[in-house]
Amino acid sequence: MRRLTAALILAVSATTALPPAAMAHHSFAMYDQSRTVTLKGAIKTVLWSNPHVVIWMEGAPVTGGAPGVWTIELTSPGNLTRIGWTRTSLKPGDAVELQILPLRDGQQGGAFKTAKLLATGQVLDANWVQKASITAHP
Amino acid sequence: MTLRTPLMALCLSLWASAGFAAESAQTLDPAPTPKDWAAVAALPDWSGVWVPDIIDQNRQIKTNPPPWNTKAAQEVLELNAAEQAGKPKGLFVDCLPNGLLALMMITHNPLEFVFSPGRVLVLGESDGNRLRRIYTDGRGHPADPDPTFYGHSIGHWEGDTLVVDTVAVLPETYLAVSESVGVANNGDLHVVERLHLTAPDTLTDDLTITDPHDLTAPWKTSRIFYRHRARQDEIGEGVCLQGKFAESVDSHGDAVFTPLQYAPDGSPLPPKP
Repeated sequence: MRRLTAALILAVSATTALPPAAMAHHSFAMYDQSRTVTLKGAIKTVLWSNPHVVIWMEGAPVTGGAPGVWTIELTSPGNLTRIGWTRTSLKPGDAVELQILPLRDGQQGGAFKTAKLLATGQVLDANWVQKASITAHP
Repeated sequence: MTLRTPLMALCLSLWASAGFAAESAQTLDPAPTPKDWAAVAALPDWSGVWVPDIIDQNRQIKTNPPPWNTKAAQEVLELNAAEQAGKPKGLFVDCLPNGLLALMMITHNPLEFVFSPGRVLVLGESDGNRLRRIYTDGRGHPADPDPTFYGHSIGHWEGDTLVVDTVAVLPETYLAVSESVGVANNGDLHVVERLHLTAPDTLTDDLTITDPHDLTAPWKTSRIFYRHRARQDEIGEGVCLQGKFAESVDSHGDAVFTPLQYAPDGSPLPPKP
């Protein structure tokens, strides 16, 4: 499990400190793999495009902190689709609790771990590496 | 013998001209015959979507790293340090094609194989749905091929194994071990791959990478792909540059792509509705 987590982190992890690169295909090493931050708020915008889906959410850490707009990055639409996501799995206005790996530089952004839709209790994860590497589907 | 010699000379001449023609730009590729299609039908079944084993990619790098030469090793050291510091170099952030080795070795997205007479096509998902075209019609490499991101590939079948030989890969493309650690191949890259099923739904690519500007010896490594057949697993469009734009509407009410805007700290701003 630890190896899986490490691989997930490595795969999710990759490049450049500046988030513009975050909009291109890159490593996620700018995110702090050792910490998880839980945010509560509402989805503002979803950019369902390659190479990485990006969502912006308006909210604040549940442990306190200034509210704001957080930029959250995920893998590609294809990888998310293969684990059951659709482009409307998260929609503007959805009240959510998000778990993210925060940006190391303290800016309001991070890599997506999970989302809990507060209206339904549904939890979305992004464990696409696990599916790709462990399970061969006939 | 006197009769035979001219005949042999004629045969040799015809063979030589045919051989020459096979390497000539003017050669016409013949229309496939039913026999050619029957030969395709007899090939192993590689249908479906082949999803890379990313955990194994990382395991391979740790347990069987490339034999970097001194110069490349220093570069890799620096790149690893940058990644450890949370400031990784982005090898692919420009959205140029990732290149041959990345497509097969560090991709996070699946591949699809299409067989047709004289061709094996490898279709990717990330990086703009990149395509490898592997000629299996018996031709050789051109004498002076134009370097390209995916190089010039020729292949042949040895039983159920597809053996692929690739040259003419652009020197700027990386021998990469991750999206942030890799060294330009700097030219003269030669890759031999042996692709074969190692289980009914497992495809293994055994690679021998000769990269004289980066490696002290040919590097043998393998990559694993798992077959998926569910429709939700099918390959989608994957245009890298799309991520630099938001979907918007212009003053005429027409749908347009608008470049994303960025905050002074570099983070992308949410597109305006």
